[in-house]
Amino acid sequence: MTMTGNGLTTALRRLRRAGVVSLTSLALGITLAAAPVADVEAKNTFVFANSSAYDTMDPHAVFDVGRVAYRINLYDGLMRWEDNPPVLNLWLAESFDITEDGLTYTFKLRKGAKFHDGSEIEAADVVYSIERMLALKKGAAALFIGTVASGSTKALDKYTVEFNLSKPSAIFMATVPEIHVLNADLMKQHVNNDDWGSAWLSTNDAGSGSFKLKRYDPAKGFLAERFADHFMGWGDKYLDEIEFRTVVEINSRVLGLMKGDFHGSDGYMPQDQIIRLRKSDNVNVEEQESMRIFYSIIHNGRSPMNDINFRKALSYAFDYDGFINNILSGSVARNPGPLPNNIWGAPKDLAGYTYDLDKAKEYLAKVKEPIREITIGALAGYGQTEQAAALLQNGLTKIGIKSKIVAEPWPVASGKMRDEQQMYDLLFLWKSTYYADPNNWVGEMYDGASIGARNNSWYKNPEVDTLLHEAQTTTDTALRERNYAKAATMVANDAAGIFIYNTKWFGPIDKRAKGFRFCPIGNGQEMRWVYFE
Amino acid sequence: MKLLVLVLNRFFWFFPTVLGLMLVTFTISHVIPADPVAFVAGDNATNEQIEALRAQLGLDQPVHVQLYRYVLSVVQGDFGVSLYTLRPISHDLASRVPATLELTFVAVLLSAAIGIPLGVISAVNRNSLLDHLLRVFTVSGLAIAAFWLAILLQLLFAMELGWTPLQGRVDGWGPDEVTRFYLIDSLLMGDLDIFLSAASHMMLPAITLAYPAMATIVRFTRAGVLEAINSNYVMYEEAMGFPRRVIVWKFVLRNALIGTVTQIGLIFGILIANAVVVEAVFDWPGLGLYAVQSILQSDYNAIMGFTVVAGVIFIVVNLIVDIAHGFIDPRESR
Repeated sequence: MTMTGNGLTTALRRLRRAGVVSLTSLALGITLAAAPVADVEAKNTFVFANSSAYDTMDPHAVFDVGRVAYRINLYDGLMRWEDNPPVLNLWLAESFDITEDGLTYTFKLRKGAKFHDGSEIEAADVVYSIERMLALKKGAAALFIGTVASGSTKALDKYTVEFNLSKPSAIFMATVPEIHVLNADLMKQHVNNDDWGSAWLSTNDAGSGSFKLKRYDPAKGFLAERFADHFMGWGDKYLDEIEFRTVVEINSRVLGLMKGDFHGSDGYMPQDQIIRLRKSDNVNVEEQESMRIFYSIIHNGRSPMNDINFRKALSYAFDYDGFINNILSGSVARNPGPLPNNIWGAPKDLAGYTYDLDKAKEYLAKVKEPIREITIGALAGYGQTEQAAALLQNGLTKIGIKSKIVAEPWPVASGKMRDEQQMYDLLFLWKSTYYADPNNWVGEMYDGASIGARNNSWYKNPEVDTLLHEAQTTTDTALRERNYAKAATMVANDAAGIFIYNTKWFGPIDKRAKGFRFCPIGNGQEMRWVYFE
Repeated sequence: MKLLVLVLNRFFWFFPTVLGLMLVTFTISHVIPADPVAFVAGDNATNEQIEALRAQLGLDQPVHVQLYRYVLSVVQGDFGVSLYTLRPISHDLASRVPATLELTFVAVLLSAAIGIPLGVISAVNRNSLLDHLLRVFTVSGLAIAAFWLAILLQLLFAMELGWTPLQGRVDGWGPDEVTRFYLIDSLLMGDLDIFLSAASHMMLPAITLAYPAMATIVRFTRAGVLEAINSNYVMYEEAMGFPRRVIVWKFVLRNALIGTVTQIGLIFGILIANAVVVEAVFDWPGLGLYAVQSILQSDYNAIMGFTVVAGVIFIVVNLIVDIAHGFIDPRESR
């Protein structure tokens, strides 16, 4: 049967008779009639599109940057990091006292501060919270295990809590904000099989934060409403609700921001997406220098990287300017050492390395061990790490070093990083801010006592260790600053890693939203200051 | 009788098939050199913390012991807990399966409702301009990558024209969950606004999923109709003076549909697999998105839970297809 002049018309008529067109039209009609009206606008709701899934609401279960929003918006700590550069402010505590030996920290709680169920926050709640963290051994617990013994924290009275450290720890104060205070009485009602209420808290709220949980769905995210009785009070302008929604795809987050469906999203998107967002009528892109350094771990414990000359050759073979200015369009700041430029203790006069193949060859000639093929690790799905690996490979080829790139997902890489044999020769990655203290970087990354755990470079320098250990225990801030600066300089001079840049945060925010206070620890996601104009 | 034997036969093979699926998935997920425990414990965890967590999760046991324990618990209806969230996998799956099934059902309906008539039209207009145009349409459907089509649809209908939402399953947080199928739950609530919102959110992901499926259905229906249209009974019916449209849409189509219905069963499985991409682009909170997140986190239990559930859905759908064959072709059930 061939198509005649009226064939198409006839066919469509038949199709219509079959009812398909009418059904389809009906479906489309329903759809188009249902042009969604953003219900959230009427309620003054700020919708944040987040790349990480909120698969738990327990503030003691995880300690990552991607899911920080529920911890800082639904819960409070004794202290809180605010602004950039970060300042440690009193929060639930109204004062604190530290004994001269640096072993006893006493906090006085604000009177009248309330949990979301209306009950008062007491010292016993703080004790319960630290004990729970130590028992569960998850999330931020690693910061306290070894320093705070179980049973050592005391509620001296209703409003006074005393931490008795087992050894002096200069970073203790910096980590206190991570002790998110739970409503002990409420938690005890939901204990199941000695789980410290974990199953219940993974989907519920036992906090006192500026917002209280209203809806939660692990598949979608969470919705929280303003807690009017929050102890910090509220000004004239505030958000009624905040919604943090999981949106995995970058493109969907960007389109959602441009369309106005979302009012904020993460600040570490690729530059091409930032450029798209800057052109949008709905979005402002706020720029801040953060504290998130990009570097390459070098396996210092394995030949030939155990030779400082080889490590220096590697450091001179990376095209820093090409990477920062050409690949990243100048969107980051050169950071020559293991401390972010903007943290106290960062050495001011550290020149770092430059892309200089002659010097690289010079140092390479001094290497006595035979030079084998080098494995450069990158994180699959994180384009910058793969681009950096390719750029280094290019430099190494020019000085006669063979290399291969292995890009593997983070769960694979994070496992290998803890195994001396499986660890790559080099691995490009970022080091984020967990607490705003130099120890978060140089102290965690290059302390010989942490080899195989947080020190994944197998770098050991007794002199650096001495400086770090003194800085970790003294309460003399000036001494700490000097020690960290010296240690960072020594690590850089030893070419223990290839230090490339400090990240800038490009926060896409709806043009009508005001009041943002970016802090590297909260990643700009503390919403109590934000309002719509 | 024949149909009953077929159904019993399928039930007999159901458990060995699911067990085989579990074995393959378990092996693959454990061969990957990832350490989910180090990942779950976080950057700041000490090695002691990691080992304690490994023991707590039973991942310090030999692989065959882990497999034995896993199979035993699945038989008892327990998929274990997520290594990442420590929440029961069954809870996570139960909250996500309806979203994926709802999307897949609508996509299948859409692809069949449009694909079958287009297949018939293509066949009865064989080698005409319309047939060639439909061939271009179907080849495109099979060739275009789902994520690319999804983004194009988003840019056109959501961003440029503003006709549809960009992503998500519904405005706000959806209806009270009874069946967890939003189209049904919103009607049960009698809330037309939520129904319309859910339907509008459904359109772009459903079209993205339905397009390649529709292309397959068009091709199979066309082939089936062409085969049937040359049969003796069609010649007889034409000789008897039946109108052409009655012959094609009533007698020919019924015979031609046997192959198409089989394909729809297979397509259902393919759609669940494609949902992994489509759900990620459209931020659809279903099984696909869950699978992506579980794979990225090397969450063994979640990956296996997803695979088993997807496998069971596929087996059940194929069983339904076999039963449907019996109704379409009475010879099958004799």
